[in-house]
Amino acid sequence: MSERYARENELVSAESNLYDKAMDVAIALSIVTFVVGMITFADAVPLGATGTELVNFFAALLGVVVGGTGIVAVFSYANVIPITSQRVRGVAMGLLVSAVGLTLAAFVLPVSLATMLGLVMLLEAGLLVAAGVVSRLGLVDTAPSMTAGLLAGVVFGIIGALVGAVIVGSLPGLDAAVPGVPVWLLGAIVLGVGFGALAIVPREDLGSTLPAALIIGLLGVTIATAVIGVGWQWTPENLSGGFTGGSVIPVFVLFGSLLASWSAAKCRADFGARGRQYGAFFVINLNAFLMVAIMAAIVVFVTVKGVGWAFHDFSIGALSLLVVLTPILVLTAQHARAPAGTDEWHSAARQFFRVVPLAAVGSLAALLLGIIVTGTTFEIPYQYAILVDRSTVMLDTAFRVTPSLTVGNLLIIVSGAILFTYFLRRYGSLRNVGTEYERLSLVRQGVPAAVGLLGLLSLVYVVIGPVLDNIGIGPVLGLGVATLGAVVVAAFALVPLGALVTGEGTLAERAHESAQLLNVGLFSGIALLMAVIVLEWTAVSNPQLGPVAPVPVVALVAAVSSLCIAALVARARRSTDDTLRRRVLGDEVTLALAAATGYVTLVGLHVAATSESTFALGPVEVGINGSLSWPTVLQGAIPLGQAPGGIYPAIIGTIWIVIGASLFAVPLGLGAAVFLTEYAEQGRFTELVEIATNALWSTPSIVFGLFGAAFLIPRLGNSLSLLAAQLTLSFMLLPLVLITSREAIKSVPDEYRDASAALGVDRWTTIRSVVIPAAMPGVVTGVILGVGRIAGETAPLILVLGSEIDATTAVDVLGGFAFTTTPPFITNEALLGSSAALPTQVWGIITAGVSGSPSKGWATAFMLLVVVLSFYAVGITARTYFRRKINYE
Amino acid sequence: MNNQIGDTDTDTDVSTDTSTDSELGTTAGVETSTTTTAGESEEQVRDEWTDYRFDAPAKLSVEDLDVWYGDDHALKDVSMEIPEESVTALIGPSGCGKSTYLRCLNRMNDRIKAARIEGSVELDGMEIYDPNTNLVELRKRIGMVFQSPNPFPKSIRDNISYGPRKHGDINKGLLARLFGRDDSEKEAELVERSLRQAALWDEVNDRLDDNALGLSGGQQQRLCIARCLAVDPEVILMDEPASALDPIATSKIEDLVTELAEDYTVVIVTHNMQQAARISDQTAVFLTGGELVEYDDTDKIFENPESQRVEDYITGKFG
Repeated sequence: MSERYARENELVSAESNLYDKAMDVAIALSIVTFVVGMITFADAVPLGATGTELVNFFAALLGVVVGGTGIVAVFSYANVIPITSQRVRGVAMGLLVSAVGLTLAAFVLPVSLATMLGLVMLLEAGLLVAAGVVSRLGLVDTAPSMTAGLLAGVVFGIIGALVGAVIVGSLPGLDAAVPGVPVWLLGAIVLGVGFGALAIVPREDLGSTLPAALIIGLLGVTIATAVIGVGWQWTPENLSGGFTGGSVIPVFVLFGSLLASWSAAKCRADFGARGRQYGAFFVINLNAFLMVAIMAAIVVFVTVKGVGWAFHDFSIGALSLLVVLTPILVLTAQHARAPAGTDEWHSAARQFFRVVPLAAVGSLAALLLGIIVTGTTFEIPYQYAILVDRSTVMLDTAFRVTPSLTVGNLLIIVSGAILFTYFLRRYGSLRNVGTEYERLSLVRQGVPAAVGLLGLLSLVYVVIGPVLDNIGIGPVLGLGVATLGAVVVAAFALVPLGALVTGEGTLAERAHESAQLLNVGLFSGIALLMAVIVLEWTAVSNPQLGPVAPVPVVALVAAVSSLCIAALVARARRSTDDTLRRRVLGDEVTLALAAATGYVTLVGLHVAATSESTFALGPVEVGINGSLSWPTVLQGAIPLGQAPGGIYPAIIGTIWIVIGASLFAVPLGLGAAVFLTEYAEQGRFTELVEIATNALWSTPSIVFGLFGAAFLIPRLGNSLSLLAAQLTLSFMLLPLVLITSREAIKSVPDEYRDASAALGVDRWTTIRSVVIPAAMPGVVTGVILGVGRIAGETAPLILVLGSEIDATTAVDVLGGFAFTTTPPFITNEALLGSSAALPTQVWGIITAGVSGSPSKGWATAFMLLVVVLSFYAVGITARTYFRRKINYE
Repeated sequence: MNNQIGDTDTDTDVSTDTSTDSELGTTAGVETSTTTTAGESEEQVRDEWTDYRFDAPAKLSVEDLDVWYGDDHALKDVSMEIPEESVTALIGPSGCGKSTYLRCLNRMNDRIKAARIEGSVELDGMEIYDPNTNLVELRKRIGMVFQSPNPFPKSIRDNISYGPRKHGDINKGLLARLFGRDDSEKEAELVERSLRQAALWDEVNDRLDDNALGLSGGQQQRLCIARCLAVDPEVILMDEPASALDPIATSKIEDLVTELAEDYTVVIVTHNMQQAARISDQTAVFLTGGELVEYDDTDKIFENPESQRVEDYITGKFG
């Protein structure tokens, strides 16, 4: 015993002794075995692996461990992420030792992976026994309690009983030791009580190591001696299949290592209160890790199976990808800009990590630029199997990024709009800054008037467009007004630039002075051009002045001009020290960037509005159709065709079902929640409603399906229909929205209501402007959960929507609306007809047996996963938005 | 029966909780008087103690006000007149009914289902407990500031303009903007005026768009006062506005109250007797049992009270 153990309780135990180190290794060993158990459970490595295969496996494991601990060690050494805890360091060392040891053992011992795992478990058991005994003999200083506790006793008792039943029940010749009592029961009782007593009676250091070691040792012996080996098989009589060693051994290993980590962690933390905490920490964490691994495995499994078909013949233009990448680039740049703390040297390292995402996105962008410049297609060829006429056919296909310079207008609009809103939200205010020119107020009043007039004119075209066309002024008027508008916009975009470039004083002073000019010019330009584009759309006109279309050209010129302004002001800002001026100029830069992205968005909108034309500038083209080719997602099935076809109709069907169900359920649920929480007298009635909604939420979905099929369908045209599906699923969604909305509204503090009432605001206005906004994050959470459930709901859909698997065309819900002169005045063929949907398609392919191709089913399941996750992403974004709005981050 | 319940600062759901804190006083009828708050001596309340006369016109006059929460008689037969443009402090031990009384003045007790109110409260001679009272108008005229600062989770600007906007005095909607009737300028003026009145403008004028919840407690309370001022009330009721604040913030609020009294009628509930002595023109003392015991000039109450119990309370013998 060293001197450190002379004292009873050390406040800080900085140095680990040999015992601690050995226990660290035991913990690490159990972690490694746990991971190996999971790997073998997933069948990634066969249990029968021997020789080189085994060495290779453990060498790979060693590589992973060395890499992982190595990078952490380097960071720790560099003081970036200092690891000071002895336990963490110890476990890391233990991981290294275990991995090296296992690799060496695999090299030396001529055994299979299964035997090896058995031996490792025996070793762990031995370590635990040794640790317990050493502690009991007082050779190390520990703080064990009097007993391991009743809970541990009960758990070990139950495990012991199971083990006893199995062992005694399987031994021959013990059949009738006591007449009338089954022999396995005796074994169970004896071993159960024995293990329980072993855990409870001795001091904690023995009580929590010995029974654990016994069980782990027993499992280890079973595996190591091949009582249950790789070839072992158990086929119960009434089952057609059986249990094999391949599935039982990993379960043994997982269980044993979980137990070992608990026991070893208790030893490492000297038993007692700290020991219980450390032991529970490992069990809980490994458990959570197992859960996450299971969930990840499901996703990975579906992805691996489905991704082949899902990305069949996928190709996209490099420029399109660049457009997608731009918002991400801006976000990562913003991330990199955020302050990195003090000027200490390791804050430099933090700065380095802040720019890593930016560097990654940047290099990806550079790669895409390289593809464009060199004109070579980037290609990942792969092949997958499909079933055609009951025979497997291998399909060769590839994932491509082409050097195409065509970008779809949708992509431009989405990316542009995201960036525009982003910059606009970051832009503060330029109120009362700079010179207020006299004519500016004129413009301020004139532009809204002009926009209003253009809007009115657009409306006129919508209503009496054909009449205008007939008398011959339609096209001319549209053309003239649009061209005039474009010219004015050009002026708006260029005047601020002019004011910035010319004039007196330094650049910064000029930028400060012309703040109002900038503000008015950029905003007015965008508003006016937007109105012009709306006019183009309703007047079906695409003005051309000779070879050029003025609207997109003006938009581009304005975008470039705004970019120039941003660059100039940013330069001026660098040379300014005045804080106030820096802020003003910063706002100007953001505003100019917002304007630039806004104008680019307008180019996309122009193409969308004048639908038949594309806009080309040199080789770059903004088209109706982009350069994305994704047959699986963008096409329907091709009857009798060669290509595998797509599942577009099913995707669209699922999206419409979710949208329809949400449109129906969310307002209704929210309204009911508001009534029940804010208006209704709290009492019997509300309790009853609460019970009813909870019951409705746990009602099996097939019951909803039956209701839809037997009640809704006869009343909705007596055929399988999208509308019936939407309604049925909305009934399922309703209770969850109601429950979560009620909880959210209830949790809004009463102080808000009091404050509002004291200001003389009536109850409904209070609910609308204070209560619901504050409850919104909770409401959205409910909708997210509900949508996740209904998007994948299959059983009711089979009954109300059918299970079509080879749909060729997608439902056109928006285009299906038609107005009639007789009641019901509005009809929709698409809603009253059936449609494909992802979950029903998966089901349909499974039940179709040989005639359906399994890979199509997997691809459908994969896309279903993607669609559901996309809805989640939208919901989480919405929730974050509302939370931010409340908390003003 | 009376107890803690009278003090409804925090619990609005009074009906559920009718008999906490039995030691604080369980009097069957105070006039005949048995046990009172520990240490409180027994005496009859005399009418002349509460008969406070003043020259200015009465802003609020309360006659024979009784409040019950379920079976609890929380406020007993209170009559008092509150003069215009002055500070009236209401003091008394916990559970004496002063907050209940305050909430009766703008009918906030209507929001408590179990509350029953009898008697009369007149604002400028108009009965506010008339069945046809316009509650919106009433609460616009009689504003209220609560014990704990309760700004909305909105920006500072939106907090101030909330009342006027909801009353339709400020219109900033999309339609208003399209038709050029946007009241942004008016709103900006209102926000600045209210914040200046509440002595908060200099601290927040550069971050009006930040969330009000990001302000410190004292700033939040002044924001609530500014929010109350924005609807241009005539009377401001304050329910222990400084009880959750530190001394510096408290002194700012006190200065503010004194200033406000030049234009507004302020009625303030407080637990802090020094505060009442510092800022109020007249003081009303409520004691256990929900009765108004003495009401007079602040100096008179603190220097020479008529009631022995009031003297005991003020000198700290109980309460």
